[in-house]
Amino acid sequence: MIEKIDLWFEERMGWRPIWKALALRNIPKVTWAYTLGSATLLVMVNQILTGILLTIYYVPSPQDAYNSVSFITNEITAGWLIRGLHHWGASAMVILAGLHMIRVVVHGAYKFPREVTWFTGLGLLAVTMAFGFTGYLLPWDQKAYWATTVGTRMLEVVPVIGPWLLRFARGGEELSAVTLTRFYGMHIWVLPALLMLLIGIHMFLVVRIGISAPPKASETEEEGPELEVEA
Amino acid sequence: MVHGEEQWTSGAGMAKMSRRTFLSRATTTMVGGIGALMGIPTVAYLVSPAKARGGLGVDRLPLGPISKFPVGEPTLFKAAIERKTGWVTQTEELAFYVFTEDGRNFSAMSNICTHLGCRVRWITDDEQFFCPCHSATFNKNGTVASGPPPRALDQFELLVEDEQLFVVGKVEA
Repeated sequence: MIEKIDLWFEERMGWRPIWKALALRNIPKVTWAYTLGSATLLVMVNQILTGILLTIYYVPSPQDAYNSVSFITNEITAGWLIRGLHHWGASAMVILAGLHMIRVVVHGAYKFPREVTWFTGLGLLAVTMAFGFTGYLLPWDQKAYWATTVGTRMLEVVPVIGPWLLRFARGGEELSAVTLTRFYGMHIWVLPALLMLLIGIHMFLVVRIGISAPPKASETEEEGPELEVEA
Repeated sequence: MVHGEEQWTSGAGMAKMSRRTFLSRATTTMVGGIGALMGIPTVAYLVSPAKARGGLGVDRLPLGPISKFPVGEPTLFKAAIERKTGWVTQTEELAFYVFTEDGRNFSAMSNICTHLGCRVRWITDDEQFFCPCHSATFNKNGTVASGPPPRALDQFELLVEDEQLFVVGKVEA
């Protein structure tokens, strides 16, 4: 039955080669550390889905922000779960992206021909951090307010344009409704667009070039200095 | 599916299954499981506010002393109630057409058209309620005179106490 449906679509869409290229591609023999990128991607999907759900009730205004978040958490069925997944998922995504990056550095997987994958990865890390920073303000509670006060204040030490950067980030001298709405706009429109662009290139390259095999001990012996390990 | 790969058997009666088929099915099952685990709370989250029903929000809504209601002609009276929707509490105005023939027995009708919810108004010259949205008309007692409404205007239960008129709830049809 499923095979018949699959065949029906295949005859009309011819998407099997795409599926094969994505899911049935050959990869070197790797370790569990190679799943960190996929894990980050999974958490990203979680962030997108729960984030979309949160916008159903969240209102980015000083009068409503805190109350709407409280409404989601305490009154909407499973609201605590959706918000919790988004909240903890944010930290998980930063941690997983960091671990993924460490793996790539340790294995030297950023080298030729994968430099562009590495650059987009750096961009993705920056976007992830920006997501974290802008999202932190949205509950509009004391912690959010002062964390953003401190965080944006750091921009002021940038030479020459510092004071302007501060006003740009806050949308004025002080934190206000303008800050909240621009952080919200960044968080749900600007950053997701950047994320999609970068993740598109990143994933395309992973599939196109293939992933690097773990470095072998013999390679280090041939090309690098011999390592003496004292027992 | 790729055939001729390493085969394995688990237990005596189980059919042979390739490693690839097993992993493929296990992955599908897990993805489906996570999907259901997430899908159910998502639906619950989205339908949650649909539980909220209207109603008066209070036991009795005072409309005022019975002496002020004109005899023989339906007259619109408004009463303010506090209503909480989501996280916002606001004052809402409920309106009723109060009708009495003798100043002792009262009936109260909703001014909301039973067709699609527009507000009807009493036209003195025609002796009818008129809905501006689709030109429906209702008689003095609330029954449909013409147009698309499926039923008469909603009636409210009233209570007279110490010469004061109160609305105590909707009359269920």
